[in-house]
Amino acid sequence: MGRAVGAALFFLTLLNTATSETDYSPPGRPKLSSCLSRDKETFTCWWAPSDRDDALRTTYALYYLKESSDVVYTCPDYRTAGPNSCYFNKNNTSIWVNYNITVAATNARGSNFSEPVVVDVAYIVQPHTPENLTVVVLGDKDGTFFRVSWEPPRKADTRSGWITLIYELRAKLDGADWEEHFAGQQKMFNIFSLRSGGTYRIQVRCKPIHGFWSEWSPTVNVTAPYALPLGSSMWIL
Amino acid sequence: VLSIMAACQAVPVGDLLDRASQRSDTLHSISTSLTHHMDSHLPSVGRLLMPRPNMCHTSSLQTPNDKEQTLSVSEAELMSLARSLLQAWVHPLLILSQESGSLPAPAQGLVSTRLLELLDHASSLQDGLDVLSSKMGPASQYLSYLPYHGGPGLGEDNPSKLVNFHFLLSCFRRDSHKIDSFLKVLRCRAAKSRPESC
Repeated sequence: MGRAVGAALFFLTLLNTATSETDYSPPGRPKLSSCLSRDKETFTCWWAPSDRDDALRTTYALYYLKESSDVVYTCPDYRTAGPNSCYFNKNNTSIWVNYNITVAATNARGSNFSEPVVVDVAYIVQPHTPENLTVVVLGDKDGTFFRVSWEPPRKADTRSGWITLIYELRAKLDGADWEEHFAGQQKMFNIFSLRSGGTYRIQVRCKPIHGFWSEWSPTVNVTAPYALPLGSSMWIL
Repeated sequence: VLSIMAACQAVPVGDLLDRASQRSDTLHSISTSLTHHMDSHLPSVGRLLMPRPNMCHTSSLQTPNDKEQTLSVSEAELMSLARSLLQAWVHPLLILSQESGSLPAPAQGLVSTRLLELLDHASSLQDGLDVLSSKMGPASQYLSYLPYHGGPGLGEDNPSKLVNFHFLLSCFRRDSHKIDSFLKVLRCRAAKSRPESC
């Protein structure tokens, strides 16, 4: 790897002296923007292409070294996670092992390398959003309430204990602020004290105990039933 | 300790694993916040001087390194791995705690306090795992010997103190994540009757 970088820099200097500052120069320095794992079993890294005008059709390659080895690997899969990404499937992913990752941008005039990034899958887990968010309106003698339930994201194996998720939900009455509720490891939560006839937007998100919050799930809209205020029955009579 | 152990004998394994995995949670969270704190104050030269993670004194222990491997390990062996790792940190955690008093870092008092919490949680987790392994049979009681050869302190001058402190912490951060992951898997295997937590 060191040798490759050295060679590339050498070329770069040669080319810079040979050409004037036009579109026809080596690519700008690419940037490895993030690496994330959705399931603690696989992970993906994304990079930002250099923003220079790209008349020379820059191509990108991702290289990595694993801790305690000097073997330089190239990205195993540029397709699965979309453009400007590299996907590491189960066979290419170890946990509690540092990956030292660099992206190279190359065009006809030369190459440029990103700042290397060191990641361990243990510390970069951000799950997908919880699924099947469901809200039912229930009632008992104390009034009506929403029973909100959901399922963990399909890709996260919570059953075996490989990932432990905690959940948070939020509800918003038209014209009011979001109200957040922490549900812990439960996959169900009751919301009381509803505004009679009020329409609520409800969302849920999850986080591994040691990891990052998912995005908020798609919204479920639900309207609290109209309730006769206590005592009003007297007036109607 | 004896009375604690006697009291724990009566508690079902599932509940003990619940408690143990809460402790290991906390251990990892504290070590993470300490590592982040040190990260933000370590000069970039220090980062270059940091030994590689395979220099951690526990790195010779063969542990699974993906989900498939972890799930194929027996309960007794997962427990033995968690206990071996924890045992290997008894001495180095003490050194970290002692040295934190003279650490040339901002918020040094806070670091010391958090390390005392860490010691406290580590020792109560160790007691809990002793009880659990006594219930799980002899294979879970096997301890791998992982000696720490770092000497009594963390170095003579301030820069090496800082670098070694940071390095030891980052080793512990990884090991506490392993311990926590192993205990969470054990907890779910024991909690078949309570699928809501898994």
